[in-house]
Amino acid sequence: MKTIEDFVSQFEASLSLGENFIVEKQSRYFLINENLRRQIKKEFFYAGVYLGKVKEGIFFPSFILLAMIAEGKANKIMVDEKTAWLFICGRDIFKRGILNVTGSKRKGDYTLILNQHNECLGFGKILRNIDEAKGKNKVVVKNISDIGDFLRREK
Amino acid sequence: MSGKEFFVRRYKELGWTCKEAEPKPSIRINTVNAKKADVVERLESLGIALEKIPFVEDGYWIGKSKFSVGATSEYLLGLYSIQEAAAQIPATLFTYLENKTVLDACAAPGGKTVQLAGLMKNTGVLIAFDVKRRRLTALSNQLERCRVKNTIVYQLDARESSWLNIKFDRILLDIPCSGNYVTDKDWFSRRTLKDVERNAELQRQILGKASKVIKANGEIVYATCSLEPEENELNIDWAIKTLNLEIEKINCHGEKALTNIFGRELESSIENCRRIWPGQTQGFFVCKLKRRAGA
Repeated sequence: MKTIEDFVSQFEASLSLGENFIVEKQSRYFLINENLRRQIKKEFFYAGVYLGKVKEGIFFPSFILLAMIAEGKANKIMVDEKTAWLFICGRDIFKRGILNVTGSKRKGDYTLILNQHNECLGFGKILRNIDEAKGKNKVVVKNISDIGDFLRREK
Repeated sequence: MSGKEFFVRRYKELGWTCKEAEPKPSIRINTVNAKKADVVERLESLGIALEKIPFVEDGYWIGKSKFSVGATSEYLLGLYSIQEAAAQIPATLFTYLENKTVLDACAAPGGKTVQLAGLMKNTGVLIAFDVKRRRLTALSNQLERCRVKNTIVYQLDARESSWLNIKFDRILLDIPCSGNYVTDKDWFSRRTLKDVERNAELQRQILGKASKVIKANGEIVYATCSLEPEENELNIDWAIKTLNLEIEKINCHGEKALTNIFGRELESSIENCRRIWPGQTQGFFVCKLKRRAGA
């Protein structure tokens, strides 16, 4: 599905969905396998792996989709423990919190944010070329979406 | 027929003296997403004291904690779920869950659905219902957080299971019930025997429908967090006499269920169900039923 492929490509990544199928329900997209496909009825509310939703023409990825992208080659930034926690709280990323960068360091590109356990916490947009950013106290990645959203949804 | 005195007297007649109970909060590690030892180490390094729950495989009681266990990155990454200790029992009572077709008929908010998906190792098909849309959103969030892959969710009443035209290998009925005073401090002032009887009737309707969509030799696990025998032993006595179901012996935490309720003698096999009076955990009742072969 093009919307999802376009989203994934923003991380200079690609996603192989193998034998699986994408189904849509009220602008929400799900990945289902053959077992689920055989049993599913069109009235379903949620199925298989939730990939994300389209709202007003914008694709909002699920955190499972982000984790799937992070499993392969993609733009990724690993951050330290304190930065990981602040990111989950919705904060942007300072240069001093970055442990290593895989893929793009270019301003304007999108990148996944990983903790030291290699777990994907969300994604952001690079605000300034990371190598060129002077000073450790510069915000270099703007938080777009993080797993703290699970808590914010409940409020 | 209501009020604390009324219910406490009933419990006394059933052989239990009502007491204050404040179960410790507990978690269950989602072992499909992480190794148990790794999660324990990570939580302990955050200053969260864990104590293994002896009667469930992946459960830990939370002792002292500097953090809310519902707001750690490990929780948000789906490495564990917050689930009361007794509530961790029902899903573990099924045999051979992998590659099965399983129904969780009263699924929201989804703690047991996630547990079932884990025990199925995300294989087979897990169908989950709940009747209220708002509760389905909470269920969906749990499934996304815990990276469940094998579940289809419908907005359906548990009594509508035949609409799917599927025969299930396993059915979990974590059934709507009257609850108990441990998890609801106003329970004694809010509940009447009439409520209990109304819930027991609804539970019989759900059990009846479940018995129609279970395969021969399929397993149904019936669980409530009610202490009232109408919703537990008496309903199971009715089920085995009218629904071609039989009780399977289970080996889990709890006392043998009661076979004499206020002077009424029940089927002796009901002692193979388990009743948990409040103490270390909330109050609970659990039973495993099997559809008779050829029935």
